Amino acid sequence: MSVQTTPVASRLASGGEQRRPWSYAWRRARSRIPLWHLLWLLVGALVFLVPLYALVQYSFSGLASGQSPFHWYLTVFDDPQFGTSFWMSLQIALETVVVGLLLMVPTAFWVHLRLPRLRPAMDLVSVLPFVVPPIVLIVGLIAFLRPFTWLIDRPEVLALIYVVFALPFLYRSLDAGLRAMDLQTLTEAAESLGSSTARTLFTVVLPNLRAAIIGGALLTVAIAMGEFTIASLLAFNTYPVYIYNIGTSQSYEAGALSVISLLLTWGAMLALFVLGRGGRTPTQTGIIK
Amino acid sequence: MSSVQLRALRRTFGETAALQELTLDIASGEFVSMLGPSGCGKTTALRIIAGFEYPDSGEVLVDGKDVLGLPANRRNMGMVFQAYSLFPNMTARQNVEFGMRIRRMSHEERTTRAAALLDLVGLAAMMDRYPRQLSGGQQQRVALARSLAIEPKVLLLDEPLSALDAKVRVQLREEVRRIQRQLGITALYVTHDQEEALSISDRVAVMSNGRVEQVGTPAEIYGAPKTAFVASFVGTMNRLEGTVVSQQDRTVQVGSTRFMMANHGFERAAGERIDLYARPEDVGIAMITNGPEPPPGTFEGKVTSVTFLGPVTRVGLMTDLGPLLADVSSAVALGLSLDGRVAVKLDSASLRTIAG
Repeated sequence: MSVQTTPVASRLASGGEQRRPWSYAWRRARSRIPLWHLLWLLVGALVFLVPLYALVQYSFSGLASGQSPFHWYLTVFDDPQFGTSFWMSLQIALETVVVGLLLMVPTAFWVHLRLPRLRPAMDLVSVLPFVVPPIVLIVGLIAFLRPFTWLIDRPEVLALIYVVFALPFLYRSLDAGLRAMDLQTLTEAAESLGSSTARTLFTVVLPNLRAAIIGGALLTVAIAMGEFTIASLLAFNTYPVYIYNIGTSQSYEAGALSVISLLLTWGAMLALFVLGRGGRTPTQTGIIK
Repeated sequence: MSSVQLRALRRTFGETAALQELTLDIASGEFVSMLGPSGCGKTTALRIIAGFEYPDSGEVLVDGKDVLGLPANRRNMGMVFQAYSLFPNMTARQNVEFGMRIRRMSHEERTTRAAALLDLVGLAAMMDRYPRQLSGGQQQRVALARSLAIEPKVLLLDEPLSALDAKVRVQLREEVRRIQRQLGITALYVTHDQEEALSISDRVAVMSNGRVEQVGTPAEIYGAPKTAFVASFVGTMNRLEGTVVSQQDRTVQVGSTRFMMANHGFERAAGERIDLYARPEDVGIAMITNGPEPPPGTFEGKVTSVTFLGPVTRVGLMTDLGPLLADVSSAVALGLSLDGRVAVKLDSASLRTIAG
């Protein structure tokens, strides 16, 4: 992406300074970004873009004459399983976010405020899902959940499992958000004005954690929407499982599905970027009159 | 308006004793500063009053009632913090209204009162700004308005000006005092800045090692320090090591000079060592113009340093009484040269002794 925009950017720059020749802007851009860097950017971009191009191209090929170019996309949308599996995954993802936030927001708040000595321990615990190989985690979790037969047949069980996977992202995000504000002074100020702890949490801490919460939540959604192994092992037909099943028999439809998934992911990333920027509230500006 | 009494407060953090039997009375409507070096326990004492810390023993009485059993959010104390403490997600007005909302005041009452308070601190025009759009001084003004909005029994200020630059600091401390007087609110102000404490307080409590060394009006603290610590911490003080010559005549020998002390109740036996204290502004100097001897009533000194401080110049002197600092008018100091000989005049009346 960046490789494509660089010449455009330099042309735009030259547009802003009309009397200077195009070559000036080019040289100026060049002096900022050495040629070597551009070359590496190009190589890096190709690694990403070529498979993407192939995927998109594939999802528009293999058509009989007279068929709509979006035939495979339409086929996918016509399949009732597409809708049910997608909604199932989305529902699980939202449940994961709700459970994860209910669990982690008070925990992170409390650890920061009252038990700062536990922070290194929390840091360690929060990376455990990264360190333990996923297959070990899954086998262990399934063995643990097996006795709870009423739970293991319901899709909600996946949300409980995904909370564990999302823990590092949620905790890290909240931790960074809490570090960015002077939590102790803010809570003490609220307390001295008569606020209860719960009120302080809801009216002072949470609004200032907005960006961190949104960021953590979107990453959690991405994880829950994309998880395949556990869902497949527990025989739930979630969206990733559906894609996999389609891929084994209908390859063009799988191509179209993958493109749809990518667009959804990018949409989520864009939302994260925009919401994160909008919610940025610098706590300490440090401007001294 | 309420009175505050601290009774024998003790607080230890691990090995270190932050407060040792701290006792202090603050009358209703009074502005008292706790002044001391960092680590003397002044902030701990303030946080105990506010309810953010608890003492190991002792009592905090507000209007005669012990408040230690109450959590911070039910003590109704206004607090202004050293760090910027405005809620970043709220405008100045919403910050001021925060405490009033909790007290379920009506919308009209809230807005009227918030506007009045922001006007009081001179920020009526910036009501709808967010903290990040305000300067440090403005943020502390809003914080003050916010703490006053709940009509607190006591206003607690924990070095509220130390993050600001010098000029704003002086301006704002005068405003704090003006507002405190106007509202007649009891205020306890913590600072390590002696000029700040002396300039705005009704009384100053000088603290060291978790204890109050001396409580008194700024003039008493400066003019009649009761302990060696207060003498050395507040302002600059010359210390002269002398020996009592006669208790009856109250004479003390320092170097080759004898002083007759004016202090009442001078109870030192002859031959006892004694420290005499003098402020630099009480030490006078004059050029030795004619002859080798300094005029009678003065003694000789050699200039070791000259530091220009604006209206006065601080002159370092070496005399046979020991090293001395003298503050002289900068016009006088123009004629001085390093290593030059001067006549030094030190009146017995300006010498102080400290009991103990």
